[in-house]
Amino acid sequence: MSDDGIDRKVLEQIEREATDRLRNAGDLETLEELRINYLGRKGVLTLALRSIGQLPQEERPLIGSLINEIKGRFNSLFDEIKAGISAGISDEEPYPGDPSLPGRRMWTGGPHILHKVMKDVKEIFYRMGYSLAEGPEVELDYYNFEALNFPKDHPSRDTQDTFYINRDILLRTQTSPVQVRHMEKYDPPLRVISPGRVYRNETPDPSHASEFHQMEGLYVDRDVSLADLRNDVTYFIHSFFGRETNVRFRPHFFPFTEPSAEVDMTCFACSGDGCPICQKTGWIEIMGAGMVHPNVFKFAGYDPDSVTGFAFGLGIDRIAMLKYGVDDIRRFLANDIRFLSQFWRGSWVGAEK
Amino acid sequence: MKVSISWLKRYVDIEEDPKTLADDLTMFGLNVEGIEDHRPDFTGVVFGKVIECGRHPGADKLSVCKVDAGGKEMLNIVCGAPNVRAGLNVAVAVNDAVLPGNFKIKKTKLRGEISEGMICSETELGIGSDPGGIIELDFEMEPGADLRERLGTDDVILDIEVTPNRPDQLSHFGIAREIAALYKRKLREPDFFPLETDDSFLVKVEDHLDCPRYSAVCVDNVNIADSPGWLQDLLVSAGIKPVNNIVDITNFVLMEMGHPLHAFDRDRIIGDTINVRRARHGEKLETLDEVERKLDNDILVIADDEMPIAVAGVMGGRESEIRTNTKRVILESAVFDPGAVRRSSHSLKMDTEASYRFEREADIGITVRALERACYLIEETGAGEPGRMITDRIEKKDSIEDIRIALRVRQVNRLMGTHLGSGELVELLERLGLFSELSGKDLIVSVPSFRRDVKAEVDLIEEVARVYGYENIGREEERSSTIFSRVSSLDRLREELSSFLCARGYAEVIDSSFMDPEDPETFEWRKDDVRSSPVRLLNPLSVSQSVLRTSLLPGMLRTIARNASVEQEGIRIFEMGKVFLPVGSGDGLPEEKQHLTACFARKNRPVQWIDKQREYDFLDMKGELETIFEWVGIDSSVTMERDKADEPDYTFNWLYKNELVGICGMIPRRVSNRYGISAPVYYFTVLAEAIHSLGVDEPAYSGLIQYPSVKRDLCVVASDRVRFSDIRNVVKKRAKHLEYIRLFDYYRGDNLGKGQRSYAFRLSFRSPDGTLEDKAVDKVIGRVLDGLRTELQVSLRME
Repeated sequence: MSDDGIDRKVLEQIEREATDRLRNAGDLETLEELRINYLGRKGVLTLALRSIGQLPQEERPLIGSLINEIKGRFNSLFDEIKAGISAGISDEEPYPGDPSLPGRRMWTGGPHILHKVMKDVKEIFYRMGYSLAEGPEVELDYYNFEALNFPKDHPSRDTQDTFYINRDILLRTQTSPVQVRHMEKYDPPLRVISPGRVYRNETPDPSHASEFHQMEGLYVDRDVSLADLRNDVTYFIHSFFGRETNVRFRPHFFPFTEPSAEVDMTCFACSGDGCPICQKTGWIEIMGAGMVHPNVFKFAGYDPDSVTGFAFGLGIDRIAMLKYGVDDIRRFLANDIRFLSQFWRGSWVGAEK
Repeated sequence: MKVSISWLKRYVDIEEDPKTLADDLTMFGLNVEGIEDHRPDFTGVVFGKVIECGRHPGADKLSVCKVDAGGKEMLNIVCGAPNVRAGLNVAVAVNDAVLPGNFKIKKTKLRGEISEGMICSETELGIGSDPGGIIELDFEMEPGADLRERLGTDDVILDIEVTPNRPDQLSHFGIAREIAALYKRKLREPDFFPLETDDSFLVKVEDHLDCPRYSAVCVDNVNIADSPGWLQDLLVSAGIKPVNNIVDITNFVLMEMGHPLHAFDRDRIIGDTINVRRARHGEKLETLDEVERKLDNDILVIADDEMPIAVAGVMGGRESEIRTNTKRVILESAVFDPGAVRRSSHSLKMDTEASYRFEREADIGITVRALERACYLIEETGAGEPGRMITDRIEKKDSIEDIRIALRVRQVNRLMGTHLGSGELVELLERLGLFSELSGKDLIVSVPSFRRDVKAEVDLIEEVARVYGYENIGREEERSSTIFSRVSSLDRLREELSSFLCARGYAEVIDSSFMDPEDPETFEWRKDDVRSSPVRLLNPLSVSQSVLRTSLLPGMLRTIARNASVEQEGIRIFEMGKVFLPVGSGDGLPEEKQHLTACFARKNRPVQWIDKQREYDFLDMKGELETIFEWVGIDSSVTMERDKADEPDYTFNWLYKNELVGICGMIPRRVSNRYGISAPVYYFTVLAEAIHSLGVDEPAYSGLIQYPSVKRDLCVVASDRVRFSDIRNVVKKRAKHLEYIRLFDYYRGDNLGKGQRSYAFRLSFRSPDGTLEDKAVDKVIGRVLDGLRTELQVSLRME
């Protein structure tokens, strides 16, 4: 410090010196001495701050704040070096003695397995040229049943126990209502998927939930055929479950498709030999599909003679259970983190799994 | 529908083993859900004769027998049964036979004597429980003949899932018809007793829509007894309990032809008329299951001159049921309207074999045939003397005729992706009993009354596809779609937000859409808060799941509470889910909004040796939301304000372009306590849909400034009426070339004076025009301090 007061240059010089000395302090004692030396009652920086009264009025704020800045930087470097010394860290040994000590960790997290499966499935269909369509979960009876060719008071409705809000409004029992809504809005050709939650008024058990997730697919163009349906569905199953999986189409009945099919794939547990999981058939049902019924086209305002199309629906919860061997569908919505974290790559507690 | 293979064999030849048959039916659209094998579970057991029987030289209780089991040599068999003796016809398990439990029979030595097989007891063959000894067969066969088919029931029951559109498959004959089509085999009709129509007694049908056809016949000199054994066995195999000959025959015809019949005791019917009418309000009927039913005008009944005697198409009345002293019977074979039967069965909560079939539309063409079949069986088994004449009320004669449907060959191939010719189509349909004639290039197909599900061309195409075989349909040529994916930017935003939170240590949860109707009160939401009027279900699973959630928070608190019980020391969860708000659109549907809500509670990091844990606080939550908005790219435009309406919630609203895009807050402890959580819970909600629809500016390139920045730290003192956001605004307004302002210290304490706070922040300056001179920066700082002083009475802090 020069006698003719302090200026920026002097302060910079002080800071350089202090930094060097802090860096070279090898132990806590030396470090503390330095702190007193600079910031104590008679410390260099403390005195400097006191002396700004001797400066011309206009220089005082600037020099004052500069000194404060230096004090701030001194403090943080001091803390850092102190922590390093306390933990035994130095440049020569960047870890405190034992490199096998765990590193600093935050929590790990991860997606819900249903979400992950949904995303994987969506991505496969996006690659094939499908786009996303969305629809409401609280739905008009009209879209959920009537426009899908389920007449009122017909036994075909019995297979889907329904939650009602009132006579005309219900919780959709399937993602299929999105079909008609989408066709009402857009002209053909179209090729969409629509994932989402559906509801059935069923007492839950290991294989039935009252809320679960489906994904609807719809492809309408001039000459879409059953053969195209087989191609798309087979491509999906091969992509998701592996190319060695066999796929078969079995005639079935759905009011809104005709011809209709249920799609089976080789049982994942026994590879088709027959086991309790597939009820000894070697096959597991994975989705329903079919050619869009002409009545559905009429409800949607399409001319059934000029277009054809196919639709399919698959259970997201079901394929998640199949792929990961989950034995109880109710686990998905129970949100036990011990369950959820099984499907992450990391683990919730940030320690070994 | 449970069908017995033995029963099916009465109408069609079946050579396939049950497993193959089941697989083939499944691929033909008749999904076989189960196979009950009632056959004995053994092989290699043959008919044998004990020729000689002597004592075992080394064991008192054993015999050594010479048995003729068809081979060149007699078999030497050691047997321990007390009843074994020469001359007996026995079941012999020969070398390599396999008995139940995979017990293999091998030639062996028993106490020094060779034994070349085993003489079996019922227990050993798994067909009975006679512990007394070996089976003594009371019939003759060629020695060596396989006994499998002679012992036990030799029947296999298939459980077939019949879809609601195919009532014709709800009978053995119907299934046999499908098998005949599947294997291209002949279908054999059973025997009938020819009847003529003369309307021998009066049937009055009030409304022909309710009952399009009613046929009935009288049977006299009825002799109620047990049915013959073969008939009882078949009924039992189909899961029906035998009662007496008349009732059994009606049930048999039901299971055979699929048409429900009902037998009334003629002498308990008052008057000479059968009325098909709606019940009158207040009428009652005790049904066969001994329950008194209250009827109303919605319920279709059969009535005599005075009162109802049956719920039409559902169940008969007890008064007119068949008893041991019944002498005269009226057999009813009718078709009732599916809707009418469905209403009755629903309102009376009665599901019967009959109502199940009528609801799915019974075959209107078959009523008389079913009576002819029943009469044949009645006469054949001596159960009574059927009259020759029947009553047959049918409103529209043409309703029983074939329907003709045009089938375009091109449309078939278009829909299936095949190249079939008209000839092939004719052949495929014929197998199902659908006959066609050619009309130009196309077909006119005649559809009989038993296939009323085939109403239009597309139904025929499905039949073609099914018989042709779905597995034979496949497009060899590659077809490339001309439709390309459109990317949903909203979906992408949502997916990115999820991934971002997962990477920041949040566990994603997915919760129920239902909440407890008590939740709004538990949360202390005001009555006029939209969240307090959730949408109600008419038929919930339980009260606690009877409304749709208006917020993700109640579910999340339950999740936190549940996970607390498994000792999670800290919790960070989020859900991307729908809430349902009762301010719907014109069609009456609630408004569905996708919310992303995250909660955290307790410790901020896992316990570890280096950085210490602490409790989460308000600023953790705020920082998370700020980080998300920064990452989404709207941080510089959002503002946060206290939601005064929600005072107890400590709720803050985040606005972007004057619209709500986020909410954050602390759940008051008393609320979280009610959910069983002792720690404070912080939450934030991001409204991704709102952000998406408001639009986020694409990042723009602005060139990098090559000149160095100049940094200055300021420490100011302000009164508690001033907020940091005010200071920041003044700084931003006044500081030219400001790159950023970052707060690094905040302090309030007594030494500052009452109600005073100090803020220390760093300012960074950078100019595109050149390195900033100290003097220039000093000038800017002067302007900033000036502004702070004049606008906010904020001054530089002096030590």
